[in-house]
Amino acid sequence: MYCYLYDDYIQENKRFEKELLKIENRLTDLGIAGKISRLALFRNAEEMIRDEIDRGVETVVVVGNDETVRKTINVLSDSSVVLGIIPIGPNNELARMLGIPEGVLACDVLSARHVDEIDMGTINGRKFVTGIRIPDFKAELMADDGKFRITATSKSSLEIRNLQEDSDPCDGMLHAVIQSQVKEKKLFGRLLNTQSILPFTSLAIRADKPFSLFADGLIMEGTRFDIGIEPKTLKIITGKERIFQA
Amino acid sequence: MFKKDAHMAHATSGSETIIAQGVKVEGDFTSNGNVLIDGEVVGSVKAAQNLQIGQSARIHASVVAMTALVAGEILGDLEATERLELTSTSKIRGNITTAMLSVEPGAEINGTITMNNPEQGKRAGRRATSDEYVQEAG
Repeated sequence: MYCYLYDDYIQENKRFEKELLKIENRLTDLGIAGKISRLALFRNAEEMIRDEIDRGVETVVVVGNDETVRKTINVLSDSSVVLGIIPIGPNNELARMLGIPEGVLACDVLSARHVDEIDMGTINGRKFVTGIRIPDFKAELMADDGKFRITATSKSSLEIRNLQEDSDPCDGMLHAVIQSQVKEKKLFGRLLNTQSILPFTSLAIRADKPFSLFADGLIMEGTRFDIGIEPKTLKIITGKERIFQA
Repeated sequence: MFKKDAHMAHATSGSETIIAQGVKVEGDFTSNGNVLIDGEVVGSVKAAQNLQIGQSARIHASVVAMTALVAGEILGDLEATERLELTSTSKIRGNITTAMLSVEPGAEINGTITMNNPEQGKRAGRRATSDEYVQEAG
């Protein structure tokens, strides 16, 4: 049983009307039409999904963008329900990485139903799919239950990667990537860009002063963040053009 | 959200760890995969597989790996259970234990070298030198 979750920006924007009609017709042709639930300003997406899961829904299809997906992943990764995406409009980077084309073409990917189980990252108990970014990294990383710590000795940025161009979301690991700028150790030395990579399953980021980071694009602020991984907890429909090999 | 960063070009291959220049590691660092160090490490390093220490690396730590290729500076004991290669730019101030050793001219070693015979098992080998062996090749 399928449930389609329409984001409110699609319903409010008339330019998506024709595309939605095409999608609904195609889903009916493919025999995978289902209940339509519509997100709205004061309707909690997670509660809506929980209600649908209780009614026996096996697949929740997000009709929207990355932001719509983000509203659903906390609930879906705790269940055996499969997530599908029909990307519409801008800001659909996640769908692109999963090999799902935009609009009506996504219906055929849904129908083919190739399901991958991907890892989910956690940060202070909240889940993320793609990764975390700290543009100005001045904190320290504590790894391996505090057995060692990593600091940047020059201007750096930090990324924690799960599902990205060059990381595998099915390997049970996250990768901390520190990009640094260092000066060559010689007279008139140039600035060099270096990249450190640390695979891990749990990590803490600490600082004396509050700092900001972006988890799946959502800003968070604090002095301590505990990061971990839940291997293969999100079942998601992917297309042939996905950027990883499961 | 989920935007890709254009300058993220490097591939993360499996469980390979890279500690580049501009990064300092303090404590007991352990890795189950290959490790490449170009930055600074204070404490201890254990690599279950191959360890590569670049020319710009500064290691103030005891180091243990299966095989090691050293081009930088190590202040501490170094053990490579299978094979150790020291390039012409390497500087070791500590004791070395390995089964197979290769030293390029120019490498500096200040410490004892103990050769383990791989056929007789780890740490069962013969001592190759006197207790205080100082070599400055090249």
